[in-house]
Amino acid sequence: MNRIYQFIDERLHLGPLISEIANHPVPDHANLLKTPKAIIYCFGGMVFFILLLQVLTGVFLMFYYVPSPDHAYASVTYIRQETAFGGLLQSVHRVGASAAVVMVMLHMLRVVLTGSYKNPRELNWVVGVFLLLLVAGFSFTGYLLPWDQKAYWATTVGVNMIAGIPLIGGFLADALRGGSEVGALTLTRFFVIHVMVLPALLTIFLAAHFFMIRRQGISRPL
Amino acid sequence: MSGISSLPGSTDKNPTPFYPDHLFVEGVAAIAVFLVIVLIAFVWQVPLEEMADPGDTAYVPRPEWYFLFYFQLLKYFEGSLAVVAIVVLPALTLALLVLLPFLDRSAATGIRKRPLTAALALASVLCIAALTALSVLEDESHLYTMDLPPVTDEQIAAGEEIFGRFCQICHSVDGKGGFMAPDLTQIGARANRAYIEQVIIDPQIVNQATIMSVIPLSDAERHEVSAYLSRKK
Ligand code: HEC
Ligand code: HEM
Repeated sequence: MNRIYQFIDERLHLGPLISEIANHPVPDHANLLKTPKAIIYCFGGMVFFILLLQVLTGVFLMFYYVPSPDHAYASVTYIRQETAFGGLLQSVHRVGASAAVVMVMLHMLRVVLTGSYKNPRELNWVVGVFLLLLVAGFSFTGYLLPWDQKAYWATTVGVNMIAGIPLIGGFLADALRGGSEVGALTLTRFFVIHVMVLPALLTIFLAAHFFMIRRQGISRPL
Repeated sequence: MSGISSLPGSTDKNPTPFYPDHLFVEGVAAIAVFLVIVLIAFVWQVPLEEMADPGDTAYVPRPEWYFLFYFQLLKYFEGSLAVVAIVVLPALTLALLVLLPFLDRSAATGIRKRPLTAALALASVLCIAALTALSVLEDESHLYTMDLPPVTDEQIAAGEEIFGRFCQICHSVDGKGGFMAPDLTQIGARANRAYIEQVIIDPQIVNQATIMSVIPLSDAERHEVSAYLSRKK
Protein backbone atom coordinates (compact mmCIF):
# COMPACT_ATOMS: atom_id res chain seq x y z
CA MET A 1 0.00 0.00 0.00
CA ASN A 2 2.66 2.44 1.13
CA ARG A 3 4.83 1.69 -1.91
CA ILE A 4 1.94 2.29 -4.27
CA TYR A 5 1.08 5.53 -2.48
CA GLN A 6 4.70 6.66 -2.66
CA PHE A 7 4.84 5.85 -6.37
CA ILE A 8 1.79 7.98 -7.05
CA ASP A 9 2.77 10.75 -4.65
CA GLU A 10 6.27 11.15 -6.14
CA ARG A 11 4.69 11.78 -9.50
CA LEU A 12 1.54 13.73 -8.62
CA HIS A 13 2.52 15.29 -5.31
CA LEU A 14 -0.82 14.64 -3.69
CA GLY A 15 0.26 15.18 -0.07
CA PRO A 16 -0.83 18.80 0.38
CA LEU A 17 -4.07 18.23 -1.50
CA ILE A 18 -5.04 15.29 0.66
CA SER A 19 -4.18 17.01 3.91
CA GLU A 20 -6.13 19.99 2.66
CA ILE A 21 -9.22 17.80 2.34
CA ALA A 22 -8.67 15.53 5.33
CA ASN A 23 -6.87 17.46 8.04
CA HIS A 24 -9.02 20.48 8.66
CA PRO A 25 -10.17 20.73 12.25
CA VAL A 26 -13.81 20.33 13.18
CA PRO A 27 -14.96 22.85 15.80
CA ASP A 28 -16.23 21.47 19.09
CA HIS A 29 -19.75 22.80 18.75
CA ALA A 30 -20.18 20.79 15.55
CA ASN A 31 -18.59 17.66 16.96
CA LEU A 32 -20.89 14.88 18.12
CA LEU A 33 -18.09 13.34 20.19
CA LYS A 34 -17.93 16.48 22.30
CA THR A 35 -21.56 17.57 22.52
CA PRO A 36 -24.82 15.82 21.59
CA LYS A 37 -26.26 19.13 20.42
CA ALA A 38 -23.90 18.87 17.46
CA ILE A 39 -26.39 16.49 15.88
CA ILE A 40 -27.97 19.45 14.09
CA TYR A 41 -24.70 19.96 12.24
CA CYS A 42 -24.94 16.40 10.90
CA PHE A 43 -28.00 16.98 8.75
CA GLY A 44 -26.15 18.38 5.75
CA GLY A 45 -23.76 15.45 5.74
CA MET A 46 -26.71 13.07 5.98
CA VAL A 47 -28.37 14.69 2.96
CA PHE A 48 -25.14 14.09 1.07
CA PHE A 49 -25.03 10.48 2.18
CA ILE A 50 -28.64 9.89 1.12
CA LEU A 51 -27.92 11.47 -2.27
CA LEU A 52 -25.06 9.00 -2.74
CA LEU A 53 -27.47 6.20 -1.83
CA GLN A 54 -29.92 7.52 -4.42
CA VAL A 55 -27.21 7.48 -7.09
CA LEU A 56 -26.27 3.90 -6.22
CA THR A 57 -29.83 2.53 -6.14
CA GLY A 58 -30.66 4.63 -9.20
CA VAL A 59 -27.86 3.01 -11.18
CA PHE A 60 -29.21 -0.47 -10.40
CA LEU A 61 -32.74 0.57 -11.33
CA MET A 62 -31.47 1.93 -14.64
CA PHE A 63 -30.00 -1.46 -15.55
CA TYR A 64 -33.56 -2.65 -16.15
CA TYR A 65 -35.71 0.43 -16.58
CA VAL A 66 -36.90 1.31 -20.11
CA PRO A 67 -38.20 4.87 -20.59
CA SER A 68 -40.97 4.27 -23.08
CA PRO A 69 -44.73 4.16 -22.47
CA ASP A 70 -44.90 0.62 -23.85
CA HIS A 71 -42.19 -0.78 -21.62
CA ALA A 72 -41.75 1.48 -18.58
CA TYR A 73 -44.51 -0.10 -16.52
CA ALA A 74 -43.51 -3.63 -17.52
CA SER A 75 -39.85 -2.98 -16.73
CA VAL A 76 -40.74 -1.64 -13.28
CA THR A 77 -42.95 -4.68 -12.67
CA TYR A 78 -40.03 -6.82 -13.79
CA ILE A 79 -37.68 -5.11 -11.34
CA ARG A 80 -40.18 -5.65 -8.52
CA GLN A 81 -41.02 -9.25 -9.24
CA GLU A 82 -38.18 -10.92 -11.11
CA THR A 83 -34.88 -9.39 -10.04
CA ALA A 84 -33.08 -10.26 -6.81
CA PHE A 85 -34.03 -7.70 -4.14
CA GLY A 86 -35.59 -5.58 -6.91
CA GLY A 87 -38.65 -4.66 -4.85
CA LEU A 88 -36.46 -3.63 -1.94
CA LEU A 89 -34.21 -1.66 -4.30
CA GLN A 90 -37.12 0.31 -5.69
CA SER A 91 -38.50 0.90 -2.20
CA VAL A 92 -35.14 2.13 -0.91
CA HIS A 93 -34.92 4.58 -3.83
CA ARG A 94 -38.41 5.88 -3.09
CA VAL A 95 -37.98 6.05 0.70
CA GLY A 96 -34.54 7.59 0.18
CA ALA A 97 -36.16 10.40 -1.81
CA SER A 98 -38.48 11.16 1.09
CA ALA A 99 -35.61 10.94 3.56
CA ALA A 100 -33.57 13.40 1.49
CA VAL A 101 -36.45 15.89 1.57
CA VAL A 102 -36.84 15.53 5.35
CA MET A 103 -33.11 15.95 5.90
CA VAL A 104 -32.84 18.96 3.58
CA MET A 105 -35.62 20.63 5.52
CA LEU A 106 -33.95 19.89 8.86
CA HIS A 107 -30.65 21.13 7.45
CA MET A 108 -32.23 24.37 6.26
CA LEU A 109 -33.92 24.86 9.61
CA ARG A 110 -30.63 24.47 11.44
CA VAL A 111 -28.97 26.99 9.11
CA VAL A 112 -31.81 29.43 9.81
CA LEU A 113 -31.84 28.84 13.56
CA THR A 114 -28.07 29.28 13.91
CA GLY A 115 -28.13 32.32 11.63
CA SER A 116 -25.49 30.62 9.50
CA TYR A 117 -26.64 32.30 6.29
CA LYS A 118 -25.21 35.61 7.45
CA ASN A 119 -22.02 37.31 6.38
CA PRO A 120 -19.80 35.76 5.04
CA ARG A 121 -22.03 32.81 4.06
CA GLU A 122 -24.74 34.59 2.03
CA LEU A 123 -23.61 33.05 -1.24
CA ASN A 124 -23.59 29.55 0.18
CA TRP A 125 -27.17 30.05 1.33
CA VAL A 126 -28.14 31.04 -2.22
CA VAL A 127 -26.38 27.95 -3.56
CA GLY A 128 -28.38 26.02 -0.95
CA VAL A 129 -31.66 27.38 -2.30
CA PHE A 130 -30.71 26.03 -5.73
CA LEU A 131 -29.91 22.66 -4.14
CA LEU A 132 -33.39 22.67 -2.63
CA LEU A 133 -34.92 23.31 -6.06
CA LEU A 134 -32.81 20.51 -7.54
CA VAL A 135 -34.03 18.06 -4.92
CA ALA A 136 -37.63 19.07 -5.72
CA GLY A 137 -36.87 18.62 -9.43
CA PHE A 138 -35.62 15.08 -8.86
CA SER A 139 -38.83 14.28 -7.06
CA PHE A 140 -41.10 15.77 -9.72
CA THR A 141 -39.38 14.05 -12.67
CA GLY A 142 -38.92 10.73 -10.86
CA TYR A 143 -42.60 10.46 -10.03
CA LEU A 144 -43.54 9.96 -13.70
CA LEU A 145 -41.08 7.18 -14.46
CA PRO A 146 -43.05 4.10 -13.21
CA TRP A 147 -45.78 5.12 -15.69
CA ASP A 148 -48.66 3.98 -13.51
CA GLN A 149 -51.92 5.86 -13.10
CA LYS A 150 -50.64 7.99 -10.23
CA ALA A 151 -47.47 8.85 -12.13
CA TYR A 152 -49.31 9.82 -15.28
CA TRP A 153 -52.05 11.90 -13.73
CA ALA A 154 -49.93 13.59 -11.07
CA THR A 155 -47.58 14.72 -13.83
CA THR A 156 -50.51 15.87 -15.95
CA VAL A 157 -51.75 18.00 -13.06
CA GLY A 158 -48.24 19.31 -12.37
CA VAL A 159 -47.56 20.31 -15.96
CA ASN A 160 -51.03 21.84 -16.30
CA MET A 161 -50.11 24.07 -13.39
CA ILE A 162 -47.02 25.21 -15.23
CA ALA A 163 -49.23 25.88 -18.24
CA GLY A 164 -51.23 28.24 -16.04
CA ILE A 165 -48.32 30.67 -15.72
CA PRO A 166 -49.23 33.80 -17.69
CA LEU A 167 -47.44 34.46 -21.01
CA ILE A 168 -44.71 31.81 -20.90
CA GLY A 169 -46.67 28.98 -19.26
CA GLY A 170 -48.00 27.43 -22.44
CA PHE A 171 -44.59 27.33 -24.05
CA LEU A 172 -42.93 25.90 -20.93
CA ALA A 173 -45.54 23.18 -20.56
CA ASP A 174 -45.30 22.16 -24.22
CA ALA A 175 -41.50 22.08 -24.01
CA LEU A 176 -41.64 19.91 -20.91
CA ARG A 177 -44.23 17.56 -22.38
CA GLY A 178 -42.79 17.50 -25.87
CA GLY A 179 -46.30 18.20 -27.14
CA SER A 180 -49.72 19.06 -25.86
CA GLU A 181 -50.21 15.92 -23.79
CA VAL A 182 -48.15 13.78 -21.44
CA GLY A 183 -46.85 10.97 -23.62
CA ALA A 184 -43.79 9.14 -24.97
CA LEU A 185 -41.77 12.33 -25.42
CA THR A 186 -42.61 13.51 -21.92
CA LEU A 187 -41.36 10.24 -20.49
CA THR A 188 -38.00 10.36 -22.29
CA ARG A 189 -37.58 14.02 -21.37
CA PHE A 190 -38.31 13.44 -17.71
CA PHE A 191 -36.03 10.41 -17.71
CA VAL A 192 -33.09 12.33 -19.20
CA ILE A 193 -33.66 15.25 -16.84
CA HIS A 194 -33.87 12.84 -13.89
CA VAL A 195 -30.73 10.81 -14.65
CA MET A 196 -28.54 13.27 -16.61
CA VAL A 197 -29.39 16.94 -16.32
CA LEU A 198 -30.23 17.15 -12.63
CA PRO A 199 -27.31 14.96 -11.46
CA ALA A 200 -24.91 17.13 -13.48
CA LEU A 201 -26.34 20.33 -11.99
CA LEU A 202 -26.37 18.75 -8.53
CA THR A 203 -22.69 17.89 -8.83
CA ILE A 204 -21.80 21.45 -9.77
CA PHE A 205 -23.85 23.05 -7.00
CA LEU A 206 -22.69 20.55 -4.39
CA ALA A 207 -19.08 21.23 -5.35
CA ALA A 208 -19.70 24.95 -4.87
CA HIS A 209 -21.50 24.28 -1.57
CA PHE A 210 -18.68 22.16 -0.16
CA PHE A 211 -15.95 24.43 -1.46
CA MET A 212 -17.52 27.37 0.33
CA ILE A 213 -17.96 25.40 3.54
CA ARG A 214 -14.24 24.57 3.51
CA ARG A 215 -13.25 28.12 2.69
CA GLN A 216 -15.44 29.72 5.30
CA GLY A 217 -15.53 27.05 7.97
CA ILE A 218 -18.59 26.13 9.96
CA SER A 219 -20.23 29.14 11.53
CA ARG A 220 -19.40 29.95 15.14
CA PRO A 221 -21.54 28.78 18.06
CA LEU A 222 -24.42 30.97 19.14
CA MET B 1 -4.45 26.11 -1.21
CA SER B 2 -2.82 25.98 2.20
CA GLY B 3 -3.46 28.47 4.93
CA ILE B 4 -7.17 27.96 5.34
CA SER B 5 -6.99 24.95 7.59
CA SER B 6 -7.66 26.90 10.73
CA LEU B 7 -11.19 28.13 10.94
CA PRO B 8 -11.94 31.81 10.97
CA GLY B 9 -13.11 32.61 14.45
CA SER B 10 -12.27 29.23 15.88
CA THR B 11 -11.68 29.35 19.62
CA ASP B 12 -11.40 25.64 20.36
CA LYS B 13 -8.25 24.39 22.10
CA ASN B 14 -8.00 20.94 20.55
CA PRO B 15 -10.30 20.75 17.57
CA THR B 16 -10.87 17.26 16.21
CA PRO B 17 -9.43 16.59 12.77
CA PHE B 18 -11.94 15.87 10.02
CA TYR B 19 -10.15 12.64 9.13
CA PRO B 20 -10.38 10.11 10.67
CA ASP B 21 -12.27 11.14 13.82
CA HIS B 22 -15.07 13.22 12.41
CA LEU B 23 -15.55 11.09 9.33
CA PHE B 24 -15.98 8.12 11.65
CA VAL B 25 -18.81 9.86 13.52
CA GLU B 26 -20.44 10.84 10.24
CA GLY B 27 -20.06 7.23 9.11
CA VAL B 28 -21.87 5.94 12.20
CA ALA B 29 -24.66 8.47 11.65
CA ALA B 30 -24.87 7.47 7.98
CA ILE B 31 -25.20 3.79 8.89
CA ALA B 32 -28.03 4.67 11.28
CA VAL B 33 -29.82 6.65 8.56
CA PHE B 34 -29.24 3.83 6.08
CA LEU B 35 -30.71 1.21 8.43
CA VAL B 36 -33.81 3.31 9.06
CA ILE B 37 -34.35 3.82 5.32
CA VAL B 38 -33.93 0.11 4.53
CA LEU B 39 -36.22 -0.86 7.39
CA ILE B 40 -38.99 1.45 6.20
CA ALA B 41 -38.45 0.31 2.60
CA PHE B 42 -38.71 -3.29 3.74
CA VAL B 43 -41.92 -2.86 5.71
CA TRP B 44 -43.55 -0.48 3.27
CA GLN B 45 -43.39 -1.83 -0.26
CA VAL B 46 -43.83 0.98 -2.78
CA PRO B 47 -47.32 0.76 -4.21
CA LEU B 48 -47.51 0.40 -7.97
CA GLU B 49 -50.92 1.16 -9.38
CA GLU B 50 -52.45 0.09 -12.68
CA MET B 51 -50.54 1.05 -15.80
CA ALA B 52 -51.14 4.63 -16.95
CA ASP B 53 -54.37 5.05 -18.91
CA PRO B 54 -54.49 8.45 -20.64
CA GLY B 55 -58.20 7.91 -21.34
CA ASP B 56 -59.21 7.59 -17.69
CA THR B 57 -59.81 11.25 -16.95
CA ALA B 58 -61.82 10.46 -13.80
CA TYR B 59 -58.65 9.44 -11.96
CA VAL B 60 -57.79 11.80 -9.10
CA PRO B 61 -54.02 11.71 -8.51
CA ARG B 62 -52.25 12.59 -5.31
CA PRO B 63 -48.69 13.92 -5.20
CA GLU B 64 -45.88 12.67 -2.99
CA TRP B 65 -46.58 13.45 0.66
CA TYR B 66 -44.08 16.30 0.77
CA PHE B 67 -45.95 18.13 -1.99
CA LEU B 68 -49.32 17.65 -0.27
CA PHE B 69 -49.17 21.05 1.43
CA TYR B 70 -48.95 22.71 -1.97
CA PHE B 71 -51.69 20.47 -3.38
CA GLN B 72 -53.88 21.62 -0.49
CA LEU B 73 -52.97 25.26 -1.05
CA LEU B 74 -54.05 24.99 -4.68
CA LYS B 75 -57.55 24.03 -3.58
CA TYR B 76 -58.04 27.47 -2.02
CA PHE B 77 -57.22 29.32 -5.24
CA GLU B 78 -59.59 28.23 -7.95
CA GLY B 79 -60.35 29.68 -11.35
CA SER B 80 -58.86 33.08 -12.04
CA LEU B 81 -57.23 33.08 -8.61
CA ALA B 82 -55.10 30.07 -9.55
CA VAL B 83 -52.37 32.45 -10.68
CA VAL B 84 -51.86 33.40 -7.03
CA ALA B 85 -51.02 29.82 -6.07
CA ILE B 86 -48.97 28.87 -9.12
CA VAL B 87 -47.04 32.10 -9.68
CA VAL B 88 -47.35 34.75 -6.99
CA LEU B 89 -46.87 32.67 -3.85
CA PRO B 90 -44.04 30.46 -5.20
CA ALA B 91 -42.23 33.50 -6.62
CA LEU B 92 -42.57 35.39 -3.34
CA THR B 93 -41.36 32.40 -1.35
CA LEU B 94 -38.40 31.89 -3.62
CA ALA B 95 -37.51 35.58 -3.54
CA LEU B 96 -37.75 35.62 0.23
CA LEU B 97 -35.50 32.55 0.46
CA VAL B 98 -32.86 33.90 -1.88
CA LEU B 99 -32.90 37.33 -0.28
CA LEU B 100 -33.02 36.20 3.35
CA PRO B 101 -29.29 36.76 4.02
CA PHE B 102 -29.48 40.19 2.43
CA LEU B 103 -32.60 41.24 4.35
CA ASP B 104 -31.55 39.92 7.76
CA ARG B 105 -28.11 41.54 7.96
CA SER B 106 -27.63 42.12 11.66
CA ALA B 107 -24.61 40.47 13.23
CA ALA B 108 -26.80 38.63 15.74
CA THR B 109 -26.96 34.88 15.17
CA GLY B 110 -28.80 33.72 18.30
CA ILE B 111 -32.39 32.90 17.45
CA ARG B 112 -33.72 34.90 20.42
CA LYS B 113 -32.07 38.00 19.07
CA ARG B 114 -33.83 37.63 15.71
CA PRO B 115 -37.55 37.53 16.56
CA LEU B 116 -38.71 38.34 13.02
CA THR B 117 -36.73 35.58 11.33
CA ALA B 118 -37.67 33.18 14.09
CA ALA B 119 -41.35 34.02 13.70
CA LEU B 120 -41.17 33.63 9.92
CA ALA B 121 -39.41 30.28 10.17
CA LEU B 122 -41.87 29.03 12.76
CA ALA B 123 -44.83 30.29 10.72
CA SER B 124 -43.56 28.53 7.58
CA VAL B 125 -43.09 25.24 9.39
CA LEU B 126 -46.54 25.49 10.98
CA CYS B 127 -48.20 26.42 7.66
CA ILE B 128 -46.62 23.50 5.85
CA ALA B 129 -47.51 21.12 8.67
CA ALA B 130 -51.09 22.38 8.89
CA LEU B 131 -51.69 22.25 5.13
CA THR B 132 -50.24 18.74 4.97
CA ALA B 133 -52.43 17.61 7.85
CA LEU B 134 -55.53 19.16 6.24
CA SER B 135 -54.77 17.44 2.98
CA VAL B 136 -54.46 14.07 4.67
CA LEU B 137 -57.63 14.62 6.69
CA GLU B 138 -59.63 15.76 3.71
CA ASP B 139 -59.81 12.23 2.52
CA GLU B 140 -59.98 11.45 -1.17
CA SER B 141 -63.75 11.33 -0.87
CA HIS B 142 -63.94 15.06 -0.28
CA LEU B 143 -62.64 15.71 -3.75
CA TYR B 144 -66.02 14.60 -5.01
CA THR B 145 -68.76 17.15 -5.14
CA MET B 146 -72.30 16.82 -6.46
CA ASP B 147 -75.61 18.63 -6.28
CA LEU B 148 -77.74 16.39 -4.11
CA PRO B 149 -81.29 16.75 -2.76
CA PRO B 150 -81.39 17.36 1.00
CA VAL B 151 -81.63 14.31 3.23
CA THR B 152 -85.10 13.45 4.59
CA ASP B 153 -86.20 10.81 7.07
CA GLU B 154 -88.21 9.02 4.36
CA GLN B 155 -85.10 8.84 2.20
CA ILE B 156 -83.09 7.32 5.02
CA ALA B 157 -85.74 4.68 5.68
CA ALA B 158 -86.05 3.83 1.98
CA GLY B 159 -82.27 3.78 1.69
CA GLU B 160 -81.96 1.26 4.48
CA GLU B 161 -84.40 -0.99 2.67
CA ILE B 162 -82.53 -0.72 -0.67
CA PHE B 163 -79.23 -1.31 1.09
CA GLY B 164 -80.60 -4.53 2.60
CA ARG B 165 -81.72 -5.72 -0.82
CA PHE B 166 -78.69 -4.84 -3.01
CA CYS B 167 -75.68 -4.21 -0.86
CA GLN B 168 -75.85 -6.24 2.32
CA ILE B 169 -74.81 -9.53 0.71
CA CYS B 170 -71.32 -7.99 0.52
CA HIS B 171 -71.27 -5.11 3.02
CA SER B 172 -72.14 -5.23 6.68
CA VAL B 173 -73.65 -2.43 8.75
CA ASP B 174 -73.97 -2.56 12.53
CA GLY B 175 -72.73 -6.15 12.53
CA LYS B 176 -75.29 -7.45 10.00
CA GLY B 177 -74.40 -8.43 6.46
CA GLY B 178 -71.67 -9.97 4.33
CA PHE B 179 -67.97 -9.88 4.94
CA MET B 180 -66.76 -9.77 1.32
CA ALA B 181 -66.58 -5.97 1.39
CA PRO B 182 -65.61 -3.22 3.84
CA ASP B 183 -67.89 -2.67 6.80
CA LEU B 184 -69.88 0.52 6.20
CA THR B 185 -71.03 1.15 9.78
CA GLN B 186 -68.96 4.34 9.91
CA ILE B 187 -68.79 5.22 6.23
CA GLY B 188 -70.43 8.60 6.89
CA ALA B 189 -67.50 9.61 9.10
CA ARG B 190 -64.82 8.83 6.56
CA ALA B 191 -66.56 9.81 3.33
CA ASN B 192 -69.04 12.39 2.14
CA ARG B 193 -72.29 11.69 0.33
CA ALA B 194 -71.01 12.59 -3.12
CA TYR B 195 -68.27 10.00 -2.77
CA ILE B 196 -70.80 7.28 -1.87
CA GLU B 197 -72.85 8.23 -4.93
CA GLN B 198 -69.76 8.07 -7.11
CA VAL B 199 -68.86 4.62 -5.79
CA ILE B 200 -72.33 3.34 -6.68
CA ILE B 201 -72.12 4.87 -10.17
CA ASP B 202 -68.57 3.65 -10.76
CA PRO B 203 -67.19 1.23 -8.13
CA GLN B 204 -63.83 1.24 -9.89
CA ILE B 205 -62.92 4.60 -8.36
CA VAL B 206 -62.29 2.70 -5.12
CA ASN B 207 -60.22 0.00 -6.68
CA GLN B 208 -59.66 -0.73 -10.35
CA ALA B 209 -60.05 -4.47 -9.79
CA THR B 210 -62.96 -4.32 -7.39
CA ILE B 211 -65.53 -7.07 -7.23
CA MET B 212 -68.25 -4.54 -6.49
CA SER B 213 -70.49 -4.44 -9.51
CA VAL B 214 -72.41 -1.52 -10.98
CA ILE B 215 -75.86 -1.90 -9.44
CA PRO B 216 -78.59 -0.45 -11.65
CA LEU B 217 -80.38 1.89 -9.25
CA SER B 218 -82.51 4.82 -10.35
CA ASP B 219 -81.23 8.29 -9.43
CA ALA B 220 -83.85 8.52 -6.66
CA GLU B 221 -82.90 5.13 -5.25
CA ARG B 222 -79.22 6.04 -5.32
CA HIS B 223 -79.93 9.28 -3.44
CA GLU B 224 -81.81 7.24 -0.84
CA VAL B 225 -78.94 4.81 -0.27
CA SER B 226 -76.40 7.61 -0.09
CA ALA B 227 -78.62 9.51 2.35
CA TYR B 228 -78.86 6.42 4.55
CA LEU B 229 -75.13 5.65 4.44
CA SER B 230 -73.98 9.23 4.95
CA ARG B 231 -75.80 9.19 8.32
CA LYS B 232 -73.82 6.11 9.41
CA LYS B 233 -71.15 7.69 11.59
C1 HEC C 1 -70.39 -7.95 -4.94
C2 HEC C 1 -70.20 -7.39 -3.65
C3 HEC C 1 -70.63 -5.93 -3.43
C4 HEC C 1 -71.89 -5.40 -3.54
C5 HEC C 1 -73.17 -6.10 -3.95
C6 HEC C 1 -71.76 -4.01 -3.18
N1 HEC C 1 -70.46 -3.71 -2.88
FE1 HEC C 1 -69.76 -1.91 -2.27
N2 HEC C 1 -67.89 -2.63 -2.23
C7 HEC C 1 -67.53 -3.95 -2.46
C8 HEC C 1 -66.12 -4.09 -2.25
C9 HEC C 1 -65.32 -5.39 -2.38
C10 HEC C 1 -65.63 -2.82 -1.91
C11 HEC C 1 -64.20 -2.41 -1.58
C12 HEC C 1 -63.50 -1.91 -2.78
C13 HEC C 1 -62.38 -2.80 -3.14
O1 HEC C 1 -61.32 -2.65 -2.52
O2 HEC C 1 -62.54 -3.66 -4.02
C14 HEC C 1 -66.76 -1.92 -1.90
C15 HEC C 1 -66.68 -0.58 -1.60
C16 HEC C 1 -67.75 0.22 -1.38
C17 HEC C 1 -67.70 1.56 -0.88
C18 HEC C 1 -66.43 2.35 -0.54
C19 HEC C 1 -65.99 2.03 0.85
C20 HEC C 1 -64.83 2.85 1.29
O3 HEC C 1 -64.40 2.66 2.43
O4 HEC C 1 -64.31 3.66 0.50
C21 HEC C 1 -68.97 2.02 -0.79
C22 HEC C 1 -69.42 3.41 -0.31
C23 HEC C 1 -69.82 0.97 -1.23
N3 HEC C 1 -69.06 -0.11 -1.59
C24 HEC C 1 -71.21 1.06 -1.30
C25 HEC C 1 -72.02 0.05 -1.81
C26 HEC C 1 -73.45 0.20 -1.97
C27 HEC C 1 -74.24 1.45 -1.59
C28 HEC C 1 -73.89 -0.96 -2.49
C29 HEC C 1 -75.32 -1.32 -2.88
C30 HEC C 1 -75.94 -0.42 -3.81
C31 HEC C 1 -72.75 -1.84 -2.66
N4 HEC C 1 -71.63 -1.18 -2.23
C32 HEC C 1 -72.84 -3.13 -3.14
C33 HEC C 1 -68.40 -4.99 -2.80
C34 HEC C 1 -69.74 -4.86 -3.02
C1 HEM D 1 -28.51 18.81 -1.67
C2 HEM D 1 -28.72 19.31 -0.52
C3 HEM D 1 -27.65 19.80 0.48
C4 HEM D 1 -26.50 19.18 0.94
C5 HEM D 1 -25.99 17.79 0.54
C6 HEM D 1 -25.87 20.08 1.89
C7 HEM D 1 -24.70 19.78 2.62
C8 HEM D 1 -24.15 20.60 3.58
C9 HEM D 1 -23.12 20.22 4.52
C10 HEM D 1 -22.47 18.83 4.62
C11 HEM D 1 -22.83 21.31 5.31
C12 HEM D 1 -21.85 21.35 6.50
C13 HEM D 1 -22.57 21.65 7.81
C14 HEM D 1 -23.81 20.84 8.10
O1 HEM D 1 -23.84 19.67 7.73
O2 HEM D 1 -24.74 21.40 8.71
C15 HEM D 1 -23.66 22.40 4.82
C16 HEM D 1 -23.63 23.71 5.31
C17 HEM D 1 -24.47 24.74 4.85
N1 HEM D 1 -25.59 24.60 4.07
FE1 HEM D 1 -26.07 22.93 3.03
N2 HEM D 1 -26.62 21.23 1.97
C18 HEM D 1 -27.71 21.10 1.14
C19 HEM D 1 -28.74 22.01 0.96
C20 HEM D 1 -28.77 23.27 1.54
C21 HEM D 1 -29.90 24.18 1.50
C22 HEM D 1 -31.26 23.84 0.86
C23 HEM D 1 -29.51 25.31 2.15
C24 HEM D 1 -30.31 26.59 2.40
C25 HEM D 1 -31.13 27.12 1.56
C26 HEM D 1 -28.14 25.15 2.60
C27 HEM D 1 -27.37 26.11 3.25
C28 HEM D 1 -26.17 25.85 3.91
C29 HEM D 1 -25.36 26.86 4.59
C30 HEM D 1 -25.63 28.36 4.64
C31 HEM D 1 -24.28 26.15 5.17
C32 HEM D 1 -23.15 26.75 6.02
C33 HEM D 1 -23.57 26.63 7.45
C34 HEM D 1 -22.47 26.91 8.44
O3 HEM D 1 -21.33 27.18 8.05
O4 HEM D 1 -22.80 26.84 9.65
N3 HEM D 1 -27.73 23.89 2.23
N4 HEM D 1 -24.46 21.95 3.77
